[in-house]
Amino acid sequence: MSALLLKDYYVLWKQMRFFLIAILVFSAIPGGYNMVFAVTYAALLPYSCVAYDERSKWDQLAAMMPYSVRDLVLSRYVLGWISGAGACFFSLILQAAFGLLFHYAASPAALVVAFFTCVSTLAITLPLIFRFGVERGRLIMFLIIFLACGSAGALGGIVEGSDGILPAAVWLVVPASLVLTAISVPLSIRWYARRSR
Amino acid sequence: MNAIALHHICKSFGSFAIDDLTLEVPEGTICGLVGENGAGKSTTIRLLMNALRPDSGTAAVLGVDTASPEFLAVKEDIGVVMDEAYFPEVLSAAQVGRVMAKTYRRWDDAQYRQFLDRFELPEKKAFKDYSRGMRMKLAIAVALSHYPRLLVLDEATAGLDPIVRDEVLDIFSDFTRQEDHSILISSHILSDLEKLCDYIAFLHQGKLLFCEEKDALLDRYAIFSGTADQAESLEADAVVGREDRGYGGVRCLVRRDGVPATLTLERPTVEDVILFLVKGVKLR
Repeated sequence: MSALLLKDYYVLWKQMRFFLIAILVFSAIPGGYNMVFAVTYAALLPYSCVAYDERSKWDQLAAMMPYSVRDLVLSRYVLGWISGAGACFFSLILQAAFGLLFHYAASPAALVVAFFTCVSTLAITLPLIFRFGVERGRLIMFLIIFLACGSAGALGGIVEGSDGILPAAVWLVVPASLVLTAISVPLSIRWYARRSR
Repeated sequence: MNAIALHHICKSFGSFAIDDLTLEVPEGTICGLVGENGAGKSTTIRLLMNALRPDSGTAAVLGVDTASPEFLAVKEDIGVVMDEAYFPEVLSAAQVGRVMAKTYRRWDDAQYRQFLDRFELPEKKAFKDYSRGMRMKLAIAVALSHYPRLLVLDEATAGLDPIVRDEVLDIFSDFTRQEDHSILISSHILSDLEKLCDYIAFLHQGKLLFCEEKDALLDRYAIFSGTADQAESLEADAVVGREDRGYGGVRCLVRRDGVPATLTLERPTVEDVILFLVKGVKLR
């Protein structure tokens, strides 16, 4: 799987520098909504890799190489988790730094919600990509990401008036993302194997 | 042992089907897979690499059933070059090497770099800026740099200039000097196959018309050139294909054992045999 992740890293670094910079910019803007947006935006990176692979027909070559279907599928999830975690990390660093300068407090709970929203988004959308392909799957994916970001915005508005909602959201989103992922990975493996044959 | 053994493989795509394909390539030999565009060569290669699942039949490569979980490990022993080199376009040859080093356990980076030098491939240049010939050379370098026992080559020499193509054919020929090394190669360049192969397999519209030793194939058939009247006097069953050459002259592919020994005949090329079989008046 490390080979696949390395390949994705090379592709992303060459193709997606502006995308990565956008994630950093959103990470730096104060507020839970922007953080969720940055992290969810980072969750888009695996879809870009799938699209590039389809365009270069790498997936056809990969089918001839000693990669298991499990590794081909799981590498997309791992890439999404690493991207989301990376966005969270940079968000934490940048918000802490700006917080010191401009006297506001970064919210670790918002980061946890952001990361697990990213995990949930991946869990819901990746099987669709493997089932329908990037072109058709992308429409559904954007709808789900729009809902995730919209919910985060609404939640962010409520949180400003209430201290108790964010910790409650953590308790909701963490188990939900784990359950969704546990269902999503086997489903993706099954659909990927079926679609590639 | 057979390097490749496909038995009664069927795979239907609606308008096209691989029909009851049985093909065996003995270990230590080079088999050329021949057929028109759309005959099913690439599909056959995908089926034997388990990139496609057959509707029925069995496939084994290097003695392992391709449908079994053990086949994943066998892919370490197979070097594949497809009709295009499908590496991500933004990667350079050096980056491809690093990815392959993490893909194949027996990856030999020194050997890979030797091939890059030999093929004059720039390490830092992005793959998308390579010419088609350079792309194919990169794919060949990758296929040969992890000590495979079997090479599966789908139009691997297409797009190469004659000098490099000759060099690549020599590399493939050297590869089979080790007795457990085998090659399955599909190509439209029949002269390449004639030079390289021990066996010729001919696919036509999804069916394998024959797979036999090249020398036996060329010994069995012959080219008769003469007048139309002379051709008419030949036994109908002996004439496999016939083409008119103008001014009453004809050229026929005949079975040697079906024509008089006194008749003056030429030894055919693989191209003659295949073209007459495909385009000739008669098909076997």
